[in-house]
Amino acid sequence: MLRVAIIGCGKIADSHASQIGRIKGCEIVGVYDREPLMAQQLAKRFPIKKAFSSLTQLLDEARPDVVHITTPPQGHFDLARTCLEYGCHIYVEKPFTVWADEAEKLIAIANERQLKLTVGHDDQFSHVSRRMRSIVRNGFLGGSPVHMESYYCYEISKAGYSGALLGDKKHWVRRLPGKLLQNIISHGIARIAEFLAGDSPEVITYGFTSPLLRSMGETEIIDELRVIIHDVDGTTAYFTFSSQMRPGLHGFRIYGSKNGLMLDQDQETLIKLRGAQYKSYAEKFVPPIVLAGQYLGNASLNLKTFLGNDFHMKSGLKFLIESFYRSIIEGTPEPIPYREILLTSRIMEAIFKSLSESVAEPTKDYVREHAATVV
Amino acid sequence: MENENIIDKNDLVLVTGANGFIGYRVVEGLLELGFQRVRCFARSSKGGNRLEALAKVGGVGSRLEIVSGNLLSPQDCANAATDARVIFHLAAGRGEKSFPDAFMNSVVTTRNLLEAAAGNGCLKRFVNVSSFAVYSNQHKSHGKLLDESCPVEQSPALRGEAYCFAKVEQEQIVLEYATRRGIPYAIVRPGQVYGPGNEGITGRVGIGTFGIFLHLGGSNTIPLTYVDNCANAIILAGIKHGADGQIFNVVDDDLPSSRKFLRLYKRHVRSFPSLYVPHVMSYALCYLWEKYSEWSHDQLPPVFNRRRWHTYWKSTRYSNEKLKKRVGWMPKVRTEDGLKLFFESCRVRRASA
Repeated sequence: MLRVAIIGCGKIADSHASQIGRIKGCEIVGVYDREPLMAQQLAKRFPIKKAFSSLTQLLDEARPDVVHITTPPQGHFDLARTCLEYGCHIYVEKPFTVWADEAEKLIAIANERQLKLTVGHDDQFSHVSRRMRSIVRNGFLGGSPVHMESYYCYEISKAGYSGALLGDKKHWVRRLPGKLLQNIISHGIARIAEFLAGDSPEVITYGFTSPLLRSMGETEIIDELRVIIHDVDGTTAYFTFSSQMRPGLHGFRIYGSKNGLMLDQDQETLIKLRGAQYKSYAEKFVPPIVLAGQYLGNASLNLKTFLGNDFHMKSGLKFLIESFYRSIIEGTPEPIPYREILLTSRIMEAIFKSLSESVAEPTKDYVREHAATVV
Repeated sequence: MENENIIDKNDLVLVTGANGFIGYRVVEGLLELGFQRVRCFARSSKGGNRLEALAKVGGVGSRLEIVSGNLLSPQDCANAATDARVIFHLAAGRGEKSFPDAFMNSVVTTRNLLEAAAGNGCLKRFVNVSSFAVYSNQHKSHGKLLDESCPVEQSPALRGEAYCFAKVEQEQIVLEYATRRGIPYAIVRPGQVYGPGNEGITGRVGIGTFGIFLHLGGSNTIPLTYVDNCANAIILAGIKHGADGQIFNVVDDDLPSSRKFLRLYKRHVRSFPSLYVPHVMSYALCYLWEKYSEWSHDQLPPVFNRRRWHTYWKSTRYSNEKLKKRVGWMPKVRTEDGLKLFFESCRVRRASA
């Protein structure tokens, strides 16, 4: 029986506890939060042996094999290092660390101690993402990717998490170097990193605060981000983060020299984009029919998965955790290669560094144009 | 003697959640009653503007102190609670779907405030504003009276409703501090608070989640309380003798049935199609949903279940007798007038949307 512990008992810890509960051969032996009440509330609602009021007590008494770190990112590095030093494998929620060199250090410690680690990029393990990976590996693209587009949007409202963030100038998200972006974009960046061949791509960044947020008096939070990534082998990628565009996409497109693929995470659909064109007017009629058939196929597959009771909202998280545990028990490869974790960290750091050097101010014309909306 | 105040009008009172739907009315009510030192604790600066506008009304400024902060900060709580004789605690994690978030914003914050209140040395009463959501209502037959003596949920997490879980836990921590640290308290449990500023149709009437509005309330009485009446009840529970250690339900008189409320809403605000689901059927659907959720390990989260049905859609009668007898509360706004104001506000909101 694999002994699991959770550190940090906020919102995402619920998803972890819930999905761990669906995995056979493991048990949650303890949870810890700096705020004891938070640890207690989690232990009350899930089959958890004990809520601990100190980290060392958790590690000494519960003796977990694996620790899930689900705290705000600022605590990830120190907590992960402590757990590794105690001999625990670690699952760290995204973003893996605040700085890229911290990610390098953790991987070095894990390798040195022959322990395993992974990061919470669970979107990459949803049903549709796994289908996409399989098709790419089978050569559908016709070689290395030529270009990718990754969208990761986030709707900002006055309620919930974003409401708390906007209303609280001391919110922990504001203390991250990349603020809101750092807490959210790693899913979208990791999708690109998975298919990059080099270790240090060129990153060009443009970010700004949306007119809506400005009208609310917000100047610190950047909620519109456009990134161009250029890898050494010529592969390029666009990354878009937006709080304003609708629909608020969570999607990924990947194009090779022969064909392309279009993934929609929200709808869990995957569409094959045929590279070759039909002749003459056939191009106007056949592809729409083929696409309609593909969408119907996706709907049918989703329904089948749902009826098979394997379509949970966090099914990607379960698959990632299960794969990680398997890699610990059976020695199979880690579900997310360390190279990809590092590359994601480096790209994110490059984005935040670039933004901090020159936060894009709207031009005078832009301000004049939007003056009516700025109260 | 019973209805005399426990504090003087020059004593400091603290209102948390002061820019909220009910909190703001509590502040207004305290000022109307002549309280000279009202400290308003608000989280967001945007909401603070409404209070700042209130402070600019002639003669009010010197009586109102606006403090912004976060109740998750013990220091902010200590600052807020300093010298407060009565604390009206309205801030809560309302609208949170996540259990940890609701818990943190209702329970951890309340613990911080209680800790600060316990140390301030002059507290006369801590008024915790809770909710009808805490009642279990499970083991009563149809049409029975729900009053303050009825049991609260013993396993609130199983309701599948973060707000209920947080409110039950919040009440428990208030009781714990009352026992352990001698905090004098009163708990106020409002029914469905309505009025300008909260324009939605309560889930007790029905839900619009599935494309068409499902009318689930039928002939049930809806436990409404107009926001001004509710604010007045909270104030009285805080300042009157005879409220110490007591729990008060807040509902108005002459409550409408769900069917009547929906008919009036459609007539005065907007017309839309709705489908009546008889109680037997809604109970069966809740049962099936609950069982499927269990079987599938939450592939569908257990948002509909029998506990929830008993709380929101079972025919129940309500009483405000205790509030009237103990602290002399009377609803200032009649339900008929309250509904008119509410529908007018709904129309204005729709027109400006």
